Amino acid sequence: MSTGSEEGGALRSILPPSRVDDLFGFCGDHAWALLGVGAVVGTLPPVFGLREGYYMTVLTEMYLFAILALSWDLVGGQTGYPSFGNMAFFGIGAYTTAILVKDVGIAFPVAMVGAGLVAVGFASVIGIAVLRLRGHYFAIATLGVLLAAQQVSRVLDITGGASGKILLDVPPGTAFYYLFFGLLIVEMGLVYYLSNTRFGFVLNAIRDDEEKATAMGFNTTYYKTAAWMLAALFTGAAGGGYSLFNTFIDPQTAYNGAWNVELIAMALIGGTGTVAGPVIGAFGLHTIIEIVETAFVGWQLVILGAAVIVTVVGFPKGVVGSLGEYAGEMEYYKRGGMAAGGGEAASDPEAEPEVEAGE
Amino acid sequence: MSEAADADATSGVAEGASPTDEEAVLRTDGVTKRFGGLTAVDGVDIEVHSGEIVGLIGPNGAGKSTLFNCITGTLSADEGRVFLRGRDVTGRPEYEIARAGLGRMFQETRVFGEMSVRKNLLVAAQEGGAGVGSLLRRPDDRLLDRVDELLAYVDLGGLADVRAGRLSFGQQKLVEFAMELMAEPDLLLMDEPAGGINPSMLENLIEYIRRANEDEDATIFLIEHNMDFVMEIADRIYVLAHGERIADGTPAEIQNDQRVLDAYLGRE
Repeated sequence: MSTGSEEGGALRSILPPSRVDDLFGFCGDHAWALLGVGAVVGTLPPVFGLREGYYMTVLTEMYLFAILALSWDLVGGQTGYPSFGNMAFFGIGAYTTAILVKDVGIAFPVAMVGAGLVAVGFASVIGIAVLRLRGHYFAIATLGVLLAAQQVSRVLDITGGASGKILLDVPPGTAFYYLFFGLLIVEMGLVYYLSNTRFGFVLNAIRDDEEKATAMGFNTTYYKTAAWMLAALFTGAAGGGYSLFNTFIDPQTAYNGAWNVELIAMALIGGTGTVAGPVIGAFGLHTIIEIVETAFVGWQLVILGAAVIVTVVGFPKGVVGSLGEYAGEMEYYKRGGMAAGGGEAASDPEAEPEVEAGE
Repeated sequence: MSEAADADATSGVAEGASPTDEEAVLRTDGVTKRFGGLTAVDGVDIEVHSGEIVGLIGPNGAGKSTLFNCITGTLSADEGRVFLRGRDVTGRPEYEIARAGLGRMFQETRVFGEMSVRKNLLVAAQEGGAGVGSLLRRPDDRLLDRVDELLAYVDLGGLADVRAGRLSFGQQKLVEFAMELMAEPDLLLMDEPAGGINPSMLENLIEYIRRANEDEDATIFLIEHNMDFVMEIADRIYVLAHGERIADGTPAEIQNDQRVLDAYLGRE
């Protein structure tokens, strides 16, 4: 790949890599404070009168997609197992809440926790089977899981068959706003914390070289399944909230394959393997989709496809990943490879400045 | 480093010979592996004792890497047993054998390319095992200090926060070596550590391996094609040809062994 020294000269003078590096350093040092500020800011719109209507719905959906994208990234980005079946957890969660609230008469918050747990149980069983597969095979198998789950809900009586379930007596819009927002903040905090523990390092190690991770003594199946179950917990709980938010659930909305593509696109555009990336991607892409949907009806999938292509070709690491690369591009040269060690290495007639290894 | 290879090897034997009465770190007992009609490894017995550096040489296709794979559990041996510190690990899953104290450096250098050098070392630390508690805590200061110490040891201190994939091949090799030291395995298997690195780096690597052996009590079993390297560094050497162990002894003995010379020159 190019080192980008020629192109982007204007960008380089306005926003030098060192400035971006400082920004990354600042975010890293104050991550918890930033999350706290975000949490406070996020609670404000309803306080200042935004309680219903179009913008309220858009914001709520934005948080919902951020949860889904961040959950997908836990397995798809951090662990390197791109799943096309995450919406299966969502659908299972959605139906669980719908059934528990409507047919069993359980309170909504309890039902939502139940939705998360049922999704986790489902993930643990499915995970042991599909997480043995890698790459394309894993992607296809997870897609199969999604389609199978959709078909099952179409056939069963308890799920209302193909016509689905209508849910009345739902809480007000602000309840869902705070619900999804709270869930998102909790998940961001959790994923951020985990990404700095050895558990998070092992997930990244599996992504980079699973055989090496195994040779180092990690039972990778165990770690992959744990990450997959955590993703299912949040995706299932989000689905559980969605069925009442939407007041209606049927196989098509619960197991929405197009959403599955959207949330992958969000994670890719924002930057996989990071906490901020999928959230930024979800906010950005959902805004674009909303604008397109109102201004150019029917074109949203075309725009979505174009956005994915531009991202994959132009910024394969997404917004956050590409910025990180840009910020760190001089790191290796600045620190000067072997020369950095000083000492005895410096006295060697070092015939080894082939610094291009990774590029 | 200026000492003659022979003199060096003799002193190594003296050191390696002392702890023979204790249980061998690694012992294979008649390990055999067949691929269809081909017997890749044929009834090989090997012992590696604590504190030793043992070499494994042989012509291409002699079964060296296959033997390694049988020891690590990547392949399951058709016959024979593998013991680590007296514990029978034959047929155990690869990750379990690794956790029992076996480290491995691959022939093609393998680091976690998208992670920083520091994280590569942190993930390698075996301390605390796979317990949920230690996995869900942030690495403590002692662990971080150990990472700095080991990176300084292989002269990569300045590159701790650089993505490992950006490093040169030789540097990645050193990162991988530091990762293995981080894990403090009872036994480290190295598959051609000298492969593909330049002469000056090789000098450094010899020094690092020797210091790890002396200062960190690392026991090392290595496959090597670079004869100068293996003769200089190994206390003892096993020779494989056609899957069979045809010789073993000190580097000096191996260099003068007619069967070894025949095997390398292609005579039966």
